[in-house]
Amino acid sequence: MSIKVQDTRYKDITARSILYAVLVIAAIYYLAPLFLMIITSFRSMDEIRVGQLIEWPKSFSLDAWAAAWNQVQIGAREELGLKPYFINSIKMVIPSVAISTLLGALNGYVLSFWKFRGSEIFFALLLAGCFLPFQAILLPHSIVLGKLQLTGTVSGLVMTHVIYGVAFTTLFFRNYYVNLPGELIKAAKLDGAGFWMIFYRIILPLSTPIIVVSVIWQFTQIWNDFLFGVVFSDPDSQPVTVGLNNMVNSTTGEKRYNVDMAGAIIAALPTVIVYVVAGKYFVRGLTAGSVKG
Amino acid sequence: MAGLIIDNVQKSFGQTHILKGIDLEIPDGEFVILVGPSGCGKSTLLNCIAGLEEVTSGRILMGDTDMTHAAPKDRDIAMVFQSYALYPNMNVRKNIAFGLEIRKMPKAEIDEIVNNVAKLLQIENLLDRKPSQLSGGQRQRVAMGRSLARQPEVFLFDEPLSNLDAKLRVEMRTEIKKLHQRLGTTIVYVTHDQIEAMTLADRIAVMKAGHVQQFGTPQQVYDDPANMFVAGFMGSPSMNFLRVEVGQNGDDYHVLIASEGHTYQLPCPKAQGDLSGYVGKDVILGIRPEQLTHVMPHVEEGEFVTKVPVKIEVTEPTGADTLVLTRINDEECECRVHPAEAGQPGEMMDILFNMDKAVFFDIETEDRI
Ligand SMILES: Nc1ncnc2c1ncn2[C@@H]1O[C@H](COP(=O)(O)OP(=O)(O)OP(=O)(O)O)[C@@H](O)[C@H]1O
Ligand SMILES: [Mg+2]
Repeated sequence: MSIKVQDTRYKDITARSILYAVLVIAAIYYLAPLFLMIITSFRSMDEIRVGQLIEWPKSFSLDAWAAAWNQVQIGAREELGLKPYFINSIKMVIPSVAISTLLGALNGYVLSFWKFRGSEIFFALLLAGCFLPFQAILLPHSIVLGKLQLTGTVSGLVMTHVIYGVAFTTLFFRNYYVNLPGELIKAAKLDGAGFWMIFYRIILPLSTPIIVVSVIWQFTQIWNDFLFGVVFSDPDSQPVTVGLNNMVNSTTGEKRYNVDMAGAIIAALPTVIVYVVAGKYFVRGLTAGSVKG
Repeated sequence: MAGLIIDNVQKSFGQTHILKGIDLEIPDGEFVILVGPSGCGKSTLLNCIAGLEEVTSGRILMGDTDMTHAAPKDRDIAMVFQSYALYPNMNVRKNIAFGLEIRKMPKAEIDEIVNNVAKLLQIENLLDRKPSQLSGGQRQRVAMGRSLARQPEVFLFDEPLSNLDAKLRVEMRTEIKKLHQRLGTTIVYVTHDQIEAMTLADRIAVMKAGHVQQFGTPQQVYDDPANMFVAGFMGSPSMNFLRVEVGQNGDDYHVLIASEGHTYQLPCPKAQGDLSGYVGKDVILGIRPEQLTHVMPHVEEGEFVTKVPVKIEVTEPTGADTLVLTRINDEECECRVHPAEAGQPGEMMDILFNMDKAVFFDIETEDRI
């Protein structure tokens, strides 16, 4: 009697090595520019001028970071550096994210558990908002902001981001909530809870994963937005993306690569931090199918 | 406490009519079981009673108050769901207390009720756990505890035991019965389980396609089914249906069956239906497997008992009895015999046809004769 040995170990190892090789190459491809930005931001201009753009730093200095933060003259603004823009961005992003996430949760709750005549059509129309090219609404929306006297204010930007973010957040929450068992709501109704009580005591506490998804998504979108920022703001209310653009484009004379790089990193840092802090919940939330009782 | 009157209740979702006029009068304290095939509207009916669905027409009365348009919270009804629907974010204590908190009951009173309920259901040691940390049976108890705590007028159960394993199901069944005996609250209970239905019910309502086919005690529904659907639905293994011709000898009626080329006359008791209009015509004979047994001397002497040799096709031992599948009038027919008496497939065997409890149905209408 002969025993057939099925040894697939070598095959497995080969397949795995190829996979990892591909992944490593891809990672290098994506990380190289970031790496370049970081080292350049720590080099001095003298060094960059004499040497090459791609080179290991011989000196280490934080001057470029300080310059980008609050020393460079951007446009004709009195306050120097990216700092005021950065503060604008924070003032814009926090209320926008909070309001659009809360509204999305409420919409999703209604569309999943308190269906009304036409709620499916309502949802479909709302979804269309996800595919809306934002260039298309610039003009009409600026008229709206004008009528509300919000042109060129941070509040105007907040309103804009809330309106165009709600389509996405509603989609997130509604798709999460349809997987919750409807009997939960029925049980709560029989227990005597009303619309808000059920939302507040039962639905919201179950929503953590999808709240994280919504917050990360909205934060990244709004923080990185350039179009609305450049169109709907005054110099006083411009967000950091616009500030960075102005900084890079408006410096007269020599291009200060180190300052540009530091500025770009400063502008990108908050989204990176948010993702690092909450990223694992993001993945978990996106894949969370149902909450098992 | 209050009785429940469901008066011609109809329910449609858009153009689909789910409940087509349900009438049930349930006295205070009665345990009513709803059975019926999947999709016949049992859950929909419970939801209508609870007020979770608005009825399309008809009335729902509790005691003598018209509750047709009352909000769920004003109906004083508690419901136990198939999925239990425990609040995943709250521990057991909070789950039970939630309804009381909403009703603004003082804290001390809530604590007392929660502790009493927990003691009654033996879940005292689970009070601080989350539902995800409980077994199926424990969740079931908590779900019951949650509805008990409110001391409602009426309990609704929607297949509460169907997610439990067989042993636990039997245990919980007994506990529900005890609980009902102790509390005496009106209960409407949906199940797919024949034994659950027979053991728990004061009365059983058999539903089909949005109609109540029969509403009676378990014994009535079992022995005296209103039509072929009820007869076939209740009982497991289910009733044999044989198409037979009716004959007449003087004042007495009989039906004819054929087995292995021979024809036999089975005399029919008058009490089981008036066959006078059917002489020479075909009817459906309904006879339960336990009326078809191996030869037992004391049974054989009965007036309406006939010995018929049949050919065994398949045998299915169940432990207590063996089910013997045979062919009568070219239709499958199941007999319930003592395991020691059952022969092998292919062999012949004498079977006693006891017509004492046989029932007859009109072929066209499928109603009882
Ligand atoms: N919200 C709804 N909209 C449309 N149709 C519905 C709705 N709820 C239930 N139905 C339909 O009503 C019918 C009866 O459903 P119901 O849940 O009452 O059945 P059931 O008797 O409880 O069945 P089961 O034994 O499988 O639980 C089904 O055909 C179902 O598809
Ligand atoms: Mg059901």
